[in-house]
Amino acid sequence: MTVRESLRGEPQILAMGGGGFTMEPDNPALDDFVLSLVRVPEPRILFLPTASGDPTAQITSFYARFARRASATHLSLFRRHGSARSLADIVLEQDVIYVGGGSMRNLLAIWRAHELDELLVEAWRRGIVLAGLSAGAMCWFAGGVTRSGGPLEVIEGLGLLPGSFSVHADGEPERLPVWLAALRSGELPGGWAADDGVGLLFHGTRMTRVVTSRPGTAALRVDVVGGELVRHRIEPELLGAGPGGPGAQPVPDDIRELRELRQAMRRG
Amino acid sequence: MEAGNPLLDDYVLGLAERERPKVCFVPTASGDADHYVVRFYRTFSTRCDTSHVSLFRRDRGDGAVEGDLEAHLLRQDVIYVGGGSVVSLLGAWRAHGLDRVLKNAWRRGVVLCGLSAGSLCWFQEAVTAFHGAPTVVRGLGLLPHSNCVHYDGEPERREEYRRFVGDGVRPGYAADDGAALHFVGRDLRRVVSSRPRARAFRVEPRDGEVVEQPLPVSYLGDAQRDLAVA
Repeated sequence: MTVRESLRGEPQILAMGGGGFTMEPDNPALDDFVLSLVRVPEPRILFLPTASGDPTAQITSFYARFARRASATHLSLFRRHGSARSLADIVLEQDVIYVGGGSMRNLLAIWRAHELDELLVEAWRRGIVLAGLSAGAMCWFAGGVTRSGGPLEVIEGLGLLPGSFSVHADGEPERLPVWLAALRSGELPGGWAADDGVGLLFHGTRMTRVVTSRPGTAALRVDVVGGELVRHRIEPELLGAGPGGPGAQPVPDDIRELRELRQAMRRG
Repeated sequence: MEAGNPLLDDYVLGLAERERPKVCFVPTASGDADHYVVRFYRTFSTRCDTSHVSLFRRDRGDGAVEGDLEAHLLRQDVIYVGGGSVVSLLGAWRAHGLDRVLKNAWRRGVVLCGLSAGSLCWFQEAVTAFHGAPTVVRGLGLLPHSNCVHYDGEPERREEYRRFVGDGVRPGYAADDGAALHFVGRDLRRVVSSRPRARAFRVEPRDGEVVEQPLPVSYLGDAQRDLAVA
């Protein structure tokens, strides 16, 4: 077992209703929180932009956000990057796998076509942190609500986490009624809805924390009890507010030097 | 859509036998890359009724076809499939039912064309080399053969393809960049090219060996003029 592997903990997933570098270019709070979930000093983070078809703009924003903070790479399933390494080798050496938003139907279908879904489940079991927003968050649950085909519709996820998840609760309020109707009809199990900026942290399959990058946002837990919807509002912790918050730890000199070297090589 | 070389595009449009053919671009294999969509419109919009299908932005349109994709695709004269990852292409198509729609379009006489992943997808079996070593994938199976592309560009593909055919992958066709295999029904009618030296081969086992039989290729340009220039 490598040192890196020995520092892995129990499986963790951070599911964001929206936010992070693709949606909050000026607010690193959620992305800093993602990195705070791993214990290795120079974390490896892999970005999967599959759900949007690997757009250059998302990939550029990813590096802008993470290149100085971590050993950052992305995995394209549409463009070749000349690497002969297997997907398993690439995925299982990471500390964090970060999944972008977009079409959840495409995301899952393309992962399955490459057998990447099984690799991600394996990564999760091994303690590699899985993080994502929107489609990249709903995919870990039993299901959610997507616009992959145009109109809003229910979609099944990978089912690592029990319950369903609905995203952009404040940013796209038209999602919520579709999700609630699916709960009422039994099409989806009870679960959570999250505003943009809100992240739900799971250890194993148990939700342990709810955090946010934006004041005034919330998460919602909804269950069906005796045929009725029972709603419960969850107040998230506001990130970056306290002295012990993420980003507060100083970066050691050698690590900073290593990062600068990497940056220079990437530019080179 | 080769830069500065319209020969293959002209040939495809000629198959439509229309004054102003309807041509729809399907860039799924590239993840609906914006620059690719722009290149398509630049290439075709002056002489065709052009449109494109996006499977990644069905919620936002962005100028792509919205609503009933099937009805739109069945109205086309030509469906043009771009390159990229054939594995991602097939996964996304199946998830949206586009595999069925395209088979339907083919049966009704819509001309299907494409390059790279957009060629491989129509065959029963295809060689892809995206992540790691070349492997064989199952395509839509409209053409009951195997296919290998970029035959001149990547020596490893050529070796692996021949090995695959030796190991039981069905016989098929290999094409260099610039060479195009024109099938009518399930049979190869003609091989044309946009580059004077582009080649194509029939690859099949014969007497315990895998044989690479060169196919006659019709260069679509002016061979005399090209020679004079050279």
